[in-house]
Amino acid sequence: MARIRFRDVRHAYPPPKGQEPVYALNEINQVWEDGGAYALLGPSGCGKTTLLNIISGLLTPSEGEILFDGKEVTDLPTSARQIAQVFQFPVVYDTMSVFDNLAFPLRNRGMDEKLVQQRVEQIAEMLDLTDNLKKRASGLTADGKQKISLGRGLVRSDVNAILFDEPLTVIDPHLKWQLRSKLKELHQQVGVTMIYVTHDQVEALTFAEKVVVMYEGIVVQVGTPVELFNHPRHTFVGYFIGSPGMNVLPCSIDGGQPVFGKNLLNIESRIKGQLQGKLEVGIRPEFVEFSDDGIPVKIEKVEDLGRYQVLTLTHESEIIKMVMAEDQTVPSENPRIQFDPHHTKIYCDDWVVEEAVNE
Amino acid sequence: MIRFNKWLVPTLYILFLMLPIYGLLSMSFKTTNEILGGFSFFPQEFTLANYKVIFTDPTWYNGYINSIIYVVINTLVSVTVALPAAYAFSRYRFLGDKHLFFWLLTNRMAPPAVFALPFFQLYSAINLFDTHIAVALAHCLFNIPLAVWILEGFMSGVPKELDETAFLDGYSFWRFFIRIFIPTIAAGIGVTMFFCFMYSWVELLLAKTLTSVEAKPIAATMTRTASSSGYELGLLAAAGSLTIVPGAIVIYFVRNYIAKGFALGRV
Repeated sequence: MARIRFRDVRHAYPPPKGQEPVYALNEINQVWEDGGAYALLGPSGCGKTTLLNIISGLLTPSEGEILFDGKEVTDLPTSARQIAQVFQFPVVYDTMSVFDNLAFPLRNRGMDEKLVQQRVEQIAEMLDLTDNLKKRASGLTADGKQKISLGRGLVRSDVNAILFDEPLTVIDPHLKWQLRSKLKELHQQVGVTMIYVTHDQVEALTFAEKVVVMYEGIVVQVGTPVELFNHPRHTFVGYFIGSPGMNVLPCSIDGGQPVFGKNLLNIESRIKGQLQGKLEVGIRPEFVEFSDDGIPVKIEKVEDLGRYQVLTLTHESEIIKMVMAEDQTVPSENPRIQFDPHHTKIYCDDWVVEEAVNE
Repeated sequence: MIRFNKWLVPTLYILFLMLPIYGLLSMSFKTTNEILGGFSFFPQEFTLANYKVIFTDPTWYNGYINSIIYVVINTLVSVTVALPAAYAFSRYRFLGDKHLFFWLLTNRMAPPAVFALPFFQLYSAINLFDTHIAVALAHCLFNIPLAVWILEGFMSGVPKELDETAFLDGYSFWRFFIRIFIPTIAAGIGVTMFFCFMYSWVELLLAKTLTSVEAKPIAATMTRTASSSGYELGLLAAAGSLTIVPGAIVIYFVRNYIAKGFALGRV
């Protein structure tokens, strides 16, 4: 087990002829604490898998270094790093039985056969594979195979970290839930660092203690699910986490207060000084409410999602989403809304303006 | 009527295909005089004498042995060389990889006759003329590109995560390649070996040019239609029938995988 540290890591894949390299990862400085359960969340193509492959050593970063417990491992080969990794699609050694597949990482490290037996049975039990241990791995269904992949990742207890690269994509929804709680349970038992890549926010928020949100090759925010929800540091986090995502609306600043359209917004603090760049105000749909005086809007659509309703409103050409409890009613005439001042945030060039929060 | 047609057309087709083979087989059981005397569908005087000659006369059976030796050498060399090459094409991106991959095929665009003369001169110069290795190496010119193409298709069907997982699980590259990767693509190797075998087995021109006595292939022996005892058509038919046997045996073993090779579009 180890504390994994990224120091100024950048990575670019070889570009097509005559083009400038595009960095898949840009300036990552990140510490993965020993024993943490992390989720790496972001849209497809934001560099999540690249980051994982750099940890496991399948890729060597173009710049920067990786440290395990303060020791540099940037050039160490994969097999020397003691990392387990589970990929999106099942990888099994077709020619071996399920048992041999699970035992493979242990035997390669010269583990005593008795202990191997014990450990494999334990993992098979956990993943419901006990009945299949004798079968050839190639005969199993896709989710059976993926369970083997997972099992092979989990079977060693002496690894530095276990990396999951969207491991539950091919698994049935009801089984997904079950496996995810098993992973969490295992994390609590063993306490090994786990990094779980996903683009599904529900998966990330239920699995992890800390969520690392990535966007276009940079880490935009690291935090607990609650922090990400209440204090998105970047408009992308606000937009990506939560359903529906945060409303991000253009604004200007007048006397330290944000102005949206022609409406002065009330926020907790004053913005000091001049801000250069694209100014936006961010408000989660949960913190928008109807009021007697406020921003006049037009109601475009009301969706009833059972426990709550999602309203689509427009003010001039801007679309605002709003979440309302089921028992509330929509005002029939001249609806006006206001934003909760505690949860209204100002963003400058997509990054939150910190002063607004601190003062 | 439709049900009837369903098997009628294939049956006719198969009969049509089998006819020359049947002709060859039935001829091989006839005496040369009977063959020269006129056409008959069944042998009038059934004889195994032709086969007896082939299995006892060294000039005949050595032809088979020579052919099998160079075919086997060629198949082994081709597959051994093509395996790492195909792996490189399927797993790595390097400068000019696509062009090189296509260029491999251009070796197959020239007829073998083009190479007969240079090969003859080359092998004579280094004293390889009339050896099995000469023919085996000459056939590599065509078989290695073919093998690389077929194997690359099968290898690309294996996700590269398999390689990565094996490294994560503690295998070195070569251990992975030999212990895991090769068994995984065993079917592809079987198909590749079959095609190398068949090509080398039926190729006549280079084999004949590069040999005289010691390594003379059966096909070259068969071009001798007359000997001191006159025409030997029965003997030729028997020899011809026997040349089909090795191919039939090999195809039996890879019959289930050939379709997969075709489906990959590489065969």
